[in-house]
Amino acid sequence: MQSKRTPLWVVSNIMKWILLSTLLALAILPLVWLFISSLRTNLELQISPFGWPEKFQWVNYSKALHMANLPRLLLNSVIVAAMAVIVNTLVTSMAAFILSREHFKGRDVIYTILTAGVLVPVISFMVPYFSLITKTGLYNTLTALIFVYTAVNIPVSIFLVTAFMKSIPKELEEAAIIDGCGFFKRFSKIILPLSRSGLVTAATFCFIYSWNEFLMAMLLTSSVESRTIQLGIKFFSSQFITDYSSMYAAVIITIIPSVGGYIFLHDKIIGGLTAGGVKG
Amino acid sequence: MVRTLKNLVVLLVVLSLTGMLFAQSQSEVAPVKEVELRWASIWVGNDSKAPAVEALVAEYNAKNAGKIKVVIEPQPDYNAYEQKVRTSLAAGQAPADIFTIKFNPTTETFYQSNLLMDFSKVMDGQWKATFDAGSLQQSTVDGVLKSLPMETAILPLWYNMDAFKSVGVTSVPKTMDELYAAFDKLKAAGIAPSSQMTGDTNAWTSMIWFSHLAVSLGGVNVWDKPFTDPAFVEAATILKNMITNYSTSDAVGLGAGGSGGHFLAGRTAVFSNGPWYAGRADLAATPFFDSIKIGSLPPAGDTTDFMISRLQANICAASTKDKSREAAIVDFLQYLTSPASIARISEGSGAMFAIKTDYLPTKSLQKQFYESANAAKTTSFDLEAALGAEVTLEFAQQLGALALGRISAEEFCALVDRKIER
Amino acid sequence: MQATGTQNRTNWAGRILFLLPVSLFFFFFFIYPFFFTLFTSFTSWRGIGAMKFNGIANYIKLASDPTFRKALGNNLIWALCQGFIQVPLACLVAIILVRKPKGWRFLRTAYYLPNVISTVALAMVWVAIYNVNGPLNAILGKLFGMESKNWLGNPDTAIFAVIFQTVIYIGYFMIVLLASAMNISRSLYEAAEIDGASTFQQELHITLPMLRGTLVTTMTLAMAYGMRHFESTFLMTGGGPAYATTTMGIDLYLKMDALRYSEASTAGVFLILLGTVVITLLRKLFGKSDPMSEMAQ
Repeated sequence: MQSKRTPLWVVSNIMKWILLSTLLALAILPLVWLFISSLRTNLELQISPFGWPEKFQWVNYSKALHMANLPRLLLNSVIVAAMAVIVNTLVTSMAAFILSREHFKGRDVIYTILTAGVLVPVISFMVPYFSLITKTGLYNTLTALIFVYTAVNIPVSIFLVTAFMKSIPKELEEAAIIDGCGFFKRFSKIILPLSRSGLVTAATFCFIYSWNEFLMAMLLTSSVESRTIQLGIKFFSSQFITDYSSMYAAVIITIIPSVGGYIFLHDKIIGGLTAGGVKG
Repeated sequence: MVRTLKNLVVLLVVLSLTGMLFAQSQSEVAPVKEVELRWASIWVGNDSKAPAVEALVAEYNAKNAGKIKVVIEPQPDYNAYEQKVRTSLAAGQAPADIFTIKFNPTTETFYQSNLLMDFSKVMDGQWKATFDAGSLQQSTVDGVLKSLPMETAILPLWYNMDAFKSVGVTSVPKTMDELYAAFDKLKAAGIAPSSQMTGDTNAWTSMIWFSHLAVSLGGVNVWDKPFTDPAFVEAATILKNMITNYSTSDAVGLGAGGSGGHFLAGRTAVFSNGPWYAGRADLAATPFFDSIKIGSLPPAGDTTDFMISRLQANICAASTKDKSREAAIVDFLQYLTSPASIARISEGSGAMFAIKTDYLPTKSLQKQFYESANAAKTTSFDLEAALGAEVTLEFAQQLGALALGRISAEEFCALVDRKIER
Repeated sequence: MQATGTQNRTNWAGRILFLLPVSLFFFFFFIYPFFFTLFTSFTSWRGIGAMKFNGIANYIKLASDPTFRKALGNNLIWALCQGFIQVPLACLVAIILVRKPKGWRFLRTAYYLPNVISTVALAMVWVAIYNVNGPLNAILGKLFGMESKNWLGNPDTAIFAVIFQTVIYIGYFMIVLLASAMNISRSLYEAAEIDGASTFQQELHITLPMLRGTLVTTMTLAMAYGMRHFESTFLMTGGGPAYATTTMGIDLYLKMDALRYSEASTAGVFLILLGTVVITLLRKLFGKSDPMSEMAQ
């Protein structure tokens, strides 16, 4: 907008930047703290949580890299998170298509049941999950984690993707039907591309969950071949002593791929899609 | 853009599939004849017992090559590990062939499970004799021994004598009056006398204080009494005074990390914790490290010369119908709990065990632990070991309310008492 | 006639085919565990051995459990704060960022960062911030001369301290709203501009109505998260002091910790049923008319 610089405009602009920068500070602060802490000793950290390292402890990073078997765990995490995201997005986009664009009796009931899963405290399902995974012979495999993460994220994804698909104007679809598009074409050529930003959002949720999940990974795996990065991070925390500074170094290392994944998803996929969006 | 995306998806799928194949093929390598024992071990990573334990397992595997192979499955994060043990047993499976539990009235429930091996049936007199009889007795429920006492601990008080000396007190206070006098001097000098906390799920350091007070006031069998007993009320009153007048201003709501941090920083003069804290590198780096004295709290009541102790880790094994497997488990556990093995684990860690050895640590602080344990005429459990997780949780939660003056000591004790099952 | 017939048949096959994968996952990972949980809630099971039926004893115990009632109340506060503070805040930021002010890409990534940092680290830094001698008290003391407070140690402030730590991290909901806002057709704004509408008017009359559907979705989601909140509070306060910050999720976890599986199941069943009611009500309240599909025309 080439708005006139009225007093109101100035005030609201200042307010806007105060808001943005306060939130920015609050969001960045933990990361900065984490990074500085990862370069301090445990004693320094225990004595005063806020402070500058007396001497930069880069050794924490080599400890993190060597001790926790990081590369293998990182690879496993990438596989698990990527597969969970792919399977989850695929199956939920199909279901959401039906739940948002088709009309039939019982649709709302299915939708309500599926989305009620959002409220499930997954922790109370640990015993059945454990039996299910061990009885199917999937214990200690990446597949087990992929299934669990895919499943646990279904309610959220259905929720988000259905909402996005509902917002697509009917006319576009009707025009496609007139052009002779069948059921599958309507899904793949019209609805799916148009709800891509919704899919990416759901994928982000699923990715963050799969990347950060710890308890299920601990429960369902027993060896390094099928363990994820979160178990590596926790490797620095044993019964009586937690090596926080090395743990934070490991956290910093693991943040890099997940932020990379986020930027890729959002800048490349949504960015390309909304080149014609609102201008400021 | 779309093509990049497609390529990426293909790449990821291929990567994942190979990864999974790789992961699966790994488990098929093991030879058929060898008995493979999986040990879900918490003594890994940073744990001070890890190096010795790993070396012992490696030696055992080398000696028994082709017959028995023990595989350590590392279990980071103790809380999650406990969750895994519970979940697995509830789902009808032992979490591994060998694993450990923290034995207390809550985990005693595990004894009802027939997934656990009853050691009383497989133990011969010779093996039995290597264990501390008391610990073995504590681990036996109705004649059944489904976990072997392994790691034990005493929970004494730690006195930073440099701090005490700085206010003219040169020895550990022997009576409560001396303690209060010393605390007043410390307070006047700007040092918070004691590390107290009400946070986490067990109010750890304050729970240890409370245990010392209660046992001294009510005797070593105090935990069998109702919690409304005057001994507990008096102990609660004293502890409240400690938290509000002789601790840091953040004691209410503080966690174990913060409580230890105050002591490490020299901001508090008295701390309470088990022997595992003695081996920490960060503690050794403090200027007052050499001045630390380990001891009891001065007696608040009639019972003296006791120490607060607990079973820190008991070993469990999966029951099995396969005799050769059972024999393998027994063989390995005999090896692991042999005085020679235990001495080596102690040496590396300073930890204390329910297996008798001649080992005495050389490092001063760890040596003091052994000496304190030997000097005590009797021992009594701490509150958590005696009464279980639920009671301890209520204790921690209501301790905050007590310290803030929202409930009286009597009300506090009545609330905790409701959680005790009899 | 014949054409419609075939169309219907393919539709049904397609519908079933498309719903099948999700249904399978859902059956194995939600329906079956739910019924398992429901079943155990009527027993006195402690995780070991056979399950003994004990009727609705667990439900009666839960209803009279002061800790659980406290937790329920706290969860309601959580749900309201997440739904009516966190989401509106996220929406405000999304509306600002969709106009691509300077550095918007950086800001979008930065706001998302707290979600990828480990919860343990995040909890630890906030415990330090809230400490009596921590930076928050230092700042408040300097600015307003306020006396130092033990934010997490005082039952009156602790609950709001833990909620604040979550509510200011808007990244999750902001990216949903931003993605939705970016989908709004540019022509709507161009038309409004020609009509002389100010930026503020444009947001009020175009962006907000267009975002309504997503807003309802995110609010519902945020409230659902509030209802089942567990982790950061557990790490920061353990539910204390004096249960001031406990939530149903924490209560449930600690019940399992004490091997009270059947009671934990009862709490779980209650939580799921309560949530289903709340979601249905919210949908009835806001979502009935599918505003988006009409608005988009």
